[in-house]
Amino acid sequence: MRDNERIDWFFAVSLFLLLSMGLLSIYSASGTDKTLFTHQMYFVIIGAVVFLFASIFPLRFLEEAVPLLYGITLILLVLTIFFGGGPAGRWLQIGPLNIQASEFAKFCVVVLSARWLPALRREFITGGVPLYLATVGLLTVLTLLQPDLGTAAAMVMMVFGMIYWAGFGFSWIFLFLSPLAAAVSSIRFASWLAFTALLSLVLYRSGAKPRRWVFFLVMTTVIAAATPSAWGLLRPYQQTRLTTFLNPEADPYGAGWNVIQSKVAIGAGGITGEGFLNGSQNELAFLPARHTDFVFSVWAEEWGFVGSLFLLFIYSVLVWRILLGAKRSLNPFNSIVGAGTAIFIIIHVVVNVGMTLGMMPVTGLPLPLITYGGSHIITEMLLLGFSYNVIRNWRSY
Amino acid sequence: MRLSSPVNERPYRSVMIVTMILFLVISGKLVELQIVKGDYYSELSSRNHIRSVIRPAPRGIVRDRNGVVLADNIPSFTVSMVSVEFDSANSLLLGELLRMEPQMLQERLSAAASNPYRSTQLLNGLTVENAGRVADNLYRLGGVSVDVLPRRRYPLSSSFCHLIGYVGLADSARVFEGELEGRTGIERILNHRLMGSHGIVREVVDAYGRVVEKFKEGDVDPTPGENVTLTVDAELQLIADSLIISTGHPGAAVVLNWETGEILVLSSIPGFDTNQFIGGISSENWNNILSDPGKPMLNRSWATAYPPGSTYKIVTAAWLLESGIVDENTMPDPCYGTFHFAGSDFSCWSTHGRLNIVGALVQSCDTYFYRTSMLGDMDELAEFSRGYGLGAPVTDILPGEADGTLPTRELLNQLFGQGGWGLGNLMIASIGQGEVLATPLQIAVTAALIASGGELPPLSLVSGELSSHRSWETHTSEETFRIVREGMRLAVSSPRGTLNQSMGYLPVTVFGKSGTAEAGSGGDHAWVTGYLEEPVPVAFAVIIENGGHGGAVAGPVAAGIIEKIVEIDHER
Repeated sequence: MRDNERIDWFFAVSLFLLLSMGLLSIYSASGTDKTLFTHQMYFVIIGAVVFLFASIFPLRFLEEAVPLLYGITLILLVLTIFFGGGPAGRWLQIGPLNIQASEFAKFCVVVLSARWLPALRREFITGGVPLYLATVGLLTVLTLLQPDLGTAAAMVMMVFGMIYWAGFGFSWIFLFLSPLAAAVSSIRFASWLAFTALLSLVLYRSGAKPRRWVFFLVMTTVIAAATPSAWGLLRPYQQTRLTTFLNPEADPYGAGWNVIQSKVAIGAGGITGEGFLNGSQNELAFLPARHTDFVFSVWAEEWGFVGSLFLLFIYSVLVWRILLGAKRSLNPFNSIVGAGTAIFIIIHVVVNVGMTLGMMPVTGLPLPLITYGGSHIITEMLLLGFSYNVIRNWRSY
Repeated sequence: MRLSSPVNERPYRSVMIVTMILFLVISGKLVELQIVKGDYYSELSSRNHIRSVIRPAPRGIVRDRNGVVLADNIPSFTVSMVSVEFDSANSLLLGELLRMEPQMLQERLSAAASNPYRSTQLLNGLTVENAGRVADNLYRLGGVSVDVLPRRRYPLSSSFCHLIGYVGLADSARVFEGELEGRTGIERILNHRLMGSHGIVREVVDAYGRVVEKFKEGDVDPTPGENVTLTVDAELQLIADSLIISTGHPGAAVVLNWETGEILVLSSIPGFDTNQFIGGISSENWNNILSDPGKPMLNRSWATAYPPGSTYKIVTAAWLLESGIVDENTMPDPCYGTFHFAGSDFSCWSTHGRLNIVGALVQSCDTYFYRTSMLGDMDELAEFSRGYGLGAPVTDILPGEADGTLPTRELLNQLFGQGGWGLGNLMIASIGQGEVLATPLQIAVTAALIASGGELPPLSLVSGELSSHRSWETHTSEETFRIVREGMRLAVSSPRGTLNQSMGYLPVTVFGKSGTAEAGSGGDHAWVTGYLEEPVPVAFAVIIENGGHGGAVAGPVAAGIIEKIVEIDHER
């Protein structure tokens, strides 16, 4: 077995196909002005360099560099909150570059979890769980303040997946997620009571010591109490997005309008699609945000049901290869980096495609490797590069 | 040797299974959208299309000679509709939002339906609240749009209602539904210059008729209409209006500059608010205008011909002198108050005794004119009067300008039959009664021609432009002009003059002639005409309908106008 010298063709071909489908869709969505397409080409080329770098970078050094990466990410996030520009104030301008710090924060969440979780699993560290929750929570809260609700929500889901991957039982996962559950339950007093009862049951079953009882009950109560004011901190468009998802009838033609147009485009694609560059919804510019949030609609309109299934299939292959590598990996850090990357891709594909189909809220999460944009392409290529590294070096400990 | 992986099989399998389930759910939705409902969405998609929307041009601004705005545009919220994209089930909701009478809304909806693919204005001049209410509901009113479009405004609407007129929706829209055109006045006659040319914006609309975005190519910006400056003086006209209103009767006043031919005042009282016609007048307001006993729609300064009464005597006098029937010293038999002729009594308003022509003008003696004009020829008087601007419109552009009437043999034969009329008709005509009819504008022209010695230029209403090709043929010698002018001067300045009481006090030399014309019904029409040489070369005519005695009723109005003219002249 000399896996580390062989190329994983499944992985490589999937990655190549996804990047190609992305470039085709951006080309089609950019209409007569091909500037967006040209930019995307540059992003993919830079992404390829980043990928190659990450695929040979020693993972041991990456693990050691986590505190440094964490610090840099925090600085970028804070800078964006104060100096952010762009349409939603999420871009940090550094010279000619517009950086979306919340994208890099997702990378940080993966490597941070990869460093914390195996240690927490192996031995009891005093204050370990609260510390992990605090460090990851800080990233999430700063991302929420970017403001980037969608990315923050994706981070929480990624954390959930990685905790599960690291081997924690469902009680643990419940405890890890209790801050979020507390926040959600605060909508109604009854649901908060139910949540607290459930939390007590889990704590009792896990035979928690009084200190842990106090910690979880106090923390969740404080969070539940603070949530209504935090809701007030959300931008109106974010509140609208959330409530529109929770109650689509509230605003069927306002925020839901984009989704209707997206569904018309996807549905108009039919079985075989309208053909490359022939999507009338897309070419006549009916599709909103057609190169960003709704790029899948462009693909689905032009390539139809067949093309849409093919796209999902390729994502599945990529996810399968990464998870397989992560499962085989002997190094727990490496394993969680790979699993985090796969979970990252699954969450983004499901949320983004689900959004274009009207099954998920309009969150602005990109479709990995396909949506227009430099920050997320580079973040994804970085994670995929390390994942490929993990696949090839599964034996290293 | 195989090391054991830190991750057992379970998380790997669970994550893969969850992923597959999620992807299957998505695929299921794709089956629904792309296969089951594919045709439906295909159909919806093909209904997204590009439409052209006309952007009306702002009409030209109309100003008076001093820059006072008489007609301009203000931005106004307008609700328009593309009929084909509108679901008629929503008309009730639309009517509620627009606060429109159902009948009026139906009218506009059918207008829109007659041009189903074009945007049609439903209502303009909406308040911010009303427009906002419609805008809030646009998502359920496919095909309806709210825009800010220019709306016509008439700041001095009532005073200039006849001259400026108003705009309305074009009867037969040549270009687009909702197109405005001048209905009356300057708005109508200069419509081609004021209207400008409309622009076109192309919009992409979705299957629900809602605008998705602007289509960048092929837009044409609207070209605003030409601004027009009129020769009229709004300040003077407002004074004339208030003076006429103070008499309590309907009336009209005209002032011209007899050196330049510029029309300064065209006043007609009462007027109406032309602003209420913008965007469709309500039936209540319309009925109010129609039922007003003062008949505000009647334009009295140029579109209504009245018997001119004694103001016509300045023309008759010139004719008598030119035709050699009288000279300056001719003194016919005295005026006894009544003149018996051919079995009829021709009365004079007073007993004047023996007078020459100047005295006859000063005291406005009818008997003098009866006794002298009977020696002349009716057709000759008509022809002579025609040269003074009577009997035909004096401008080319004023809409609905009345011809006026001059009795001729032909006309009288038509009216009364051969032998059904006689010399008496000529005698009555000589004092501006009987068949003679003239507009106040025409009477002002006769005074202007006396003042200028026949040199009055063609009239002008738009600054720097001739508004008439009519040339004047007075066929009058300088000597005759001198005699008539003398009569007019003394009519004001001599203690016996008919205008001495009302106008003699004025600090400037006024040449005038009063008239008290018998009206068919109601009291006599009070007339005065005349002119100034200094400080400003203006000629004027004033009529107060059924006002009574010319000197006593119309005289003070003319005097007030002259006071204002002198005041304005001092200020400048």
